[in-house]
Amino acid sequence: MTSTPTPSAAAAAPTTSSGAPRVAIRRRRRPTTPYLLLLPAVAILLVGLGYPVYWQVVTSLQQFGLMQQFGAPPTFVGLDNYVRIFTDDRLWAVVARSIAFCLVNAFLTVAIGLGLALLMRAVHSGVRIVLQVVLLLAWATPLVAAVTVFRWLFDYRTGVVNWLLVELGFEGYAGYAWLAQPLTFFGVATIVIVWMSVPFVAMSIYAGLTQVSEEVLEAARLDGAGPTQILWRILLPLVRPVLAIVLLLQIIWDLRVFAQIRLLQDAGAPVAETNLLGNFIYELGIGSQDFSGAAAVSIFVLLLTVLLSAPYVRSLMKEDAV
Amino acid sequence: MKRTRTLATGLAASMTLALALTACGTADDDGGSTTADGTPEPADITLWLAGADTNDDLRAYLVDTFAEENPGSTLTIEEQDWADLVTKLTTALPDAANTPDVVEIGNTQSSTFTTAGAFREISPELYEELGGDKLLASFVEAGSVDGTHYALPYYYGSRYMFFRKDIWTKAGLEVPTTLGEFGDSVKELTTKKQSGFAMGGQDWRNGISWVFANGGELAVKDGDQWTSTLSDPNTVKGLEQWQDVFGASNLPATAKDVAYWDFLNDGTDGEAPDAATMMAPGWARWSIGDLTKNDKGEEVRDGMADDSTFDIFALPGVDGGVAPVFAGGSNMAVSAQSQHPELAENLMRIIYSDEYQTLLAQAGLGPANADFDKLMTVDADGNPNKFGEVTVATAQASKLTPPAPGWAAVEGALVLEELFQKIAEGGDVTALAAEYDEKITPMLNGQAG
Repeated sequence: MTSTPTPSAAAAAPTTSSGAPRVAIRRRRRPTTPYLLLLPAVAILLVGLGYPVYWQVVTSLQQFGLMQQFGAPPTFVGLDNYVRIFTDDRLWAVVARSIAFCLVNAFLTVAIGLGLALLMRAVHSGVRIVLQVVLLLAWATPLVAAVTVFRWLFDYRTGVVNWLLVELGFEGYAGYAWLAQPLTFFGVATIVIVWMSVPFVAMSIYAGLTQVSEEVLEAARLDGAGPTQILWRILLPLVRPVLAIVLLLQIIWDLRVFAQIRLLQDAGAPVAETNLLGNFIYELGIGSQDFSGAAAVSIFVLLLTVLLSAPYVRSLMKEDAV
Repeated sequence: MKRTRTLATGLAASMTLALALTACGTADDDGGSTTADGTPEPADITLWLAGADTNDDLRAYLVDTFAEENPGSTLTIEEQDWADLVTKLTTALPDAANTPDVVEIGNTQSSTFTTAGAFREISPELYEELGGDKLLASFVEAGSVDGTHYALPYYYGSRYMFFRKDIWTKAGLEVPTTLGEFGDSVKELTTKKQSGFAMGGQDWRNGISWVFANGGELAVKDGDQWTSTLSDPNTVKGLEQWQDVFGASNLPATAKDVAYWDFLNDGTDGEAPDAATMMAPGWARWSIGDLTKNDKGEEVRDGMADDSTFDIFALPGVDGGVAPVFAGGSNMAVSAQSQHPELAENLMRIIYSDEYQTLLAQAGLGPANADFDKLMTVDADGNPNKFGEVTVATAQASKLTPPAPGWAAVEGALVLEELFQKIAEGGDVTALAAEYDEKITPMLNGQAG
């Protein structure tokens, strides 16, 4: 292999029996390394996602309750579960609520994250490091701990929020139960979820902003562009791919939000009126042991997620192809 | 431009991977040994206890005695939260590799799991050995199918009223003798800052006492079908009376069964308490009273030592006597998938031994075996114990929720929480009762709802 083919070697090819055929074989062989490298990822996906999805699909076509969980053979019922679920008014109320909640939270999170990222770019590096550390701490706070803290803040009897409002002169908030009404419940839930997801968005966008070269900005300034114009005409178009991907991720995450809502409900809330898709599935499957109904809703949520994110994925792919 | 896009792609890829890893990260490692053939070979078995009711002394007794009587074997006790016990049991019990060997389960949840075949049969011989007919009958029934026993009573508790005697006396009120009088008294004690009777709107476990007291039922069995009977005139009467009593509570209609004892204790800096009365299981006593130091120097409540400030009474019935309250408590069963059934049954023998039943009674938990009830009513020195007396009196009058196959589903889907919340918000009881009857009846019979 160390010998490089020279004109003379090529000319001597018929006599040296080893060189030429080896080259020919190597040309014909298809490259296997990329496929080998793909294998672990595909295996993980198949085991981690493929099997559960297969199980969900099968279960959604069966009658599967507690009896079946303990060994009774399940019966095949076709699309009965889907019919039952889709004719249930509860499902459509939950779907509408979930989509509205998801969009509001995703856009709010990205807007605040963008604001913080621009702030980080503008401030002195000392201030920026403090800001980044604070954001990282919020990001690193375990979910249950964070929600517990917010539950305490908004407690009707001993919460700081009510105390503060009363001290400020809003007497009506003495003993006000934030979690008792769906609207204020989702207000609190939005604060928790936005608070927890903003750091990731802010950091990602900030990372994108650092890639914008100083020359471009300088050129713009020389041409007389003001800060607003720089933001809208230069910075945002340049970080658009990052914005698009964090918004996509945020939409997917906020659609499958579960634990925050569940933990807030545990503090005493109108459960049926505050359920989102994840909670509805949990209540159906784990709460009332209607595993097949829950599986049917899960499949529906999967399709809904694909539907909601498809335009984004398409435009992202298009951009990558450019 | 190019670099930003690479960054975005990298971000997306790493997040997807993180999601995939989270999805795979939950696989449990199992305990290991899986063989058991006739003779119990040494192994480690697991007992799931629900909540903190079984205190540390009781747990230590179980662990030590088990190790002593089964050389080479050990017992691991894992505490599960009541709130997600049904979830954990649903997923762990069918799985031979991960099932706990012996489990504590709420008395009202027993029927569902027993019917589903989650538990190992307790042979008639073993049943006799563990106490037989002396075991609390209503709990035994909840854990049996057609006369075969699967889950046995572990302990019973019952609910009674804890009240601020000083506040009641100051208002010139006596311990009420009828349920109506109770309602009037607590409403009189209610101010903007103080609940006459602290109760959450979703707290149906305390609330159904009013239904039972009025002769109402939640559901009845007709033939082999269960029917929800919220619309029964007696049930409606009870629900309406509870709606009226809820007027004495400043808690939100969405509040659950919360730590009511906090409401009865003085506030910080000796502020007036938030409530004059509350209803709770007997062990709530140890969270009430003046602050004091225990042997380890920790700050604890003195267990209502000052009886001119704190006292108890049993919820009175409609026409006097004692109202039938919801019987708290739990059952104990061996998992059908247990890999060490002999060792698990040995543990059952320890739990139903005279020594352990005595310890339960002394800890204020109603013992499964009626022979030990008398230990509840006297303290260690043989003096009458009012807490034990009221526990036994209310327990004798107490009732259970319907032993229907789908009852755990009704509880798991929080249907009753929803109904009671709507009643507490002032809804029309008759209309709500009819609406929820329709919802609950199919669930009771194990049909998916």
